[in-house]
Amino acid sequence: MPVADRYISPSAWGDWWQGTCQVRLWWTLASKDIVDRYRRSMLGPLWLTVSVAAMLAAMGPLYSQLFNVPLGKFFPNLALGIILWGFINTTLIEAANTFVAASTFLKSSPFPLSMFIWRTLARNVITLAHQLIVYVPVALFCSIPISPIQLLAIPGLLMLFVCLHVMSISVAVVCTRFRDVAQVLTTCMQMVIFVTPVLWMPSSVPARAKLLLYLNPFFHMIDVVRAPLQGLFPQRYSWPGLILWTAACAILAMVLFSRSRRQVIYWL
Amino acid sequence: MASLSLTNACIDYPVFGAHATSLKRTVVAAVTGGMIGRETGVTTIHALQDINLTLRKGDRLGIMGHNGAGKTTLLRTLAGVYPPTKGRYRRQGSLSSLIDPMLGVEMEFSGYENIRLCGILKGLTPQEITTLTPEIAEFSGLGEYLDMPVRTYSTGMLMRLAFSIATTVRADILIMDEWLSVGDASFRQKSEQRIRDVVDAAGILVLASQSRHLIEKECNRLVELAHGRIVKDEPIGPAPDAAPAAAASPAAAASPVAATQPAPVQKLQPGVEPPSPPKIQPALEPQPAGRG
Repeated sequence: MPVADRYISPSAWGDWWQGTCQVRLWWTLASKDIVDRYRRSMLGPLWLTVSVAAMLAAMGPLYSQLFNVPLGKFFPNLALGIILWGFINTTLIEAANTFVAASTFLKSSPFPLSMFIWRTLARNVITLAHQLIVYVPVALFCSIPISPIQLLAIPGLLMLFVCLHVMSISVAVVCTRFRDVAQVLTTCMQMVIFVTPVLWMPSSVPARAKLLLYLNPFFHMIDVVRAPLQGLFPQRYSWPGLILWTAACAILAMVLFSRSRRQVIYWL
Repeated sequence: MASLSLTNACIDYPVFGAHATSLKRTVVAAVTGGMIGRETGVTTIHALQDINLTLRKGDRLGIMGHNGAGKTTLLRTLAGVYPPTKGRYRRQGSLSSLIDPMLGVEMEFSGYENIRLCGILKGLTPQEITTLTPEIAEFSGLGEYLDMPVRTYSTGMLMRLAFSIATTVRADILIMDEWLSVGDASFRQKSEQRIRDVVDAAGILVLASQSRHLIEKECNRLVELAHGRIVKDEPIGPAPDAAPAAAASPAAAASPVAATQPAPVQKLQPGVEPPSPPKIQPALEPQPAGRG
């Protein structure tokens, strides 16, 4: 006979580690979320692919004219920019709501909190996987050469996941306590997309405004994946920048999480 | 060796009014020294105070108290959901919380998908779920309806499914908010037997209820709460082994005595009729006929 057990973690690390180990649980919940969203639709989760493809088909040719950049260079940059930005943006905004959305779970059994952070991230990774498919025809259309550099996108993606995970922890804790931080976050993200080379080329930043790139963690997050997929090396400051940013966020997450992990349940 | 204890445990809840969760008010309050942001003053509810409770194997604890006395809070604290703000919580042994039997049930999913999902939530492996699914399906008596989305179910059918899944798992410590008993007459008899097995298998039972009758029947210790404090803690009841033994024997379920026993619980029976939507009727027919 199967036996139920819910172990109560003695420490913040314990909670984090246990939640992380429950891979089957958070992965099931994440894929359930996706399946649930597209249930009873003909294409199912393929709608994710279709909608981003439609958007790119409309924006690519037009914006390359507007920014006066050859389509062959502009299109892959835009496609990856929009896909990756969508991933980062949605993950952080949904992270804000993570604990509130999981309150029925959290109030009836002592689940590790970090499990739900992973669930939100995993759900968005599934979405990302559906949308990255769109890059394949774009790359073929723009005849992006296949080179070993593209393998660098794999560590880039992993680093991006780690970074988003630690950011999500802080966001989730703070937004559960202060409900309007989620709105602040949404507003900020709307600003960030315009000062980050998502829609435009990093190369069109004039030299005097380079700080916009050096000091912008969101650019680093995008660049470590986008550049390799285009067969280019990331900017030399992107990796160090991303690692520093992730470390800073990890420290913040540790402080916030270990201090308020026990209170989260009372804030729901 | 199952054990569960609370030592000098207090639960103090902050209650954020509609305004207090807002960052602006907190900032304004901080800046103005609390002149404007008076709403920020967070009300604290002392939900539980100085709770001392030690449960060992064999303990069958009934919790009583008026509405708002802290029963649910105490249950959640014992389940490990609320960490005590003061004092200590210790637990040994596996724990199964039936506080919310509907936990994880997803309306758009079919019955079978829900069995899988809830199974995983309860910590079962996919193999265990595959092995258990026929048994759960059989017990629920929902037949072909298990292929339908759960949103098409009546309340009674939904409770049957949730109950069948929730009671599959055994644990050393079992926590229940009211006695679980669901469905129409025939299913209730079956479910009584089933919950009895789960309770008997558990080393420790914690049961919150409004019904003194139920607690006297099922428990050997009574704790009464008032305003977040334990006001009474005493051993109760007839021999604790007498009642379970009588009901646990398979014959008891079929005997007329068992059938005429008063159903102790009012709370979880939404006055349910046998599921009888017209379309897939044949699959369900043997069910009501078998026991009726």
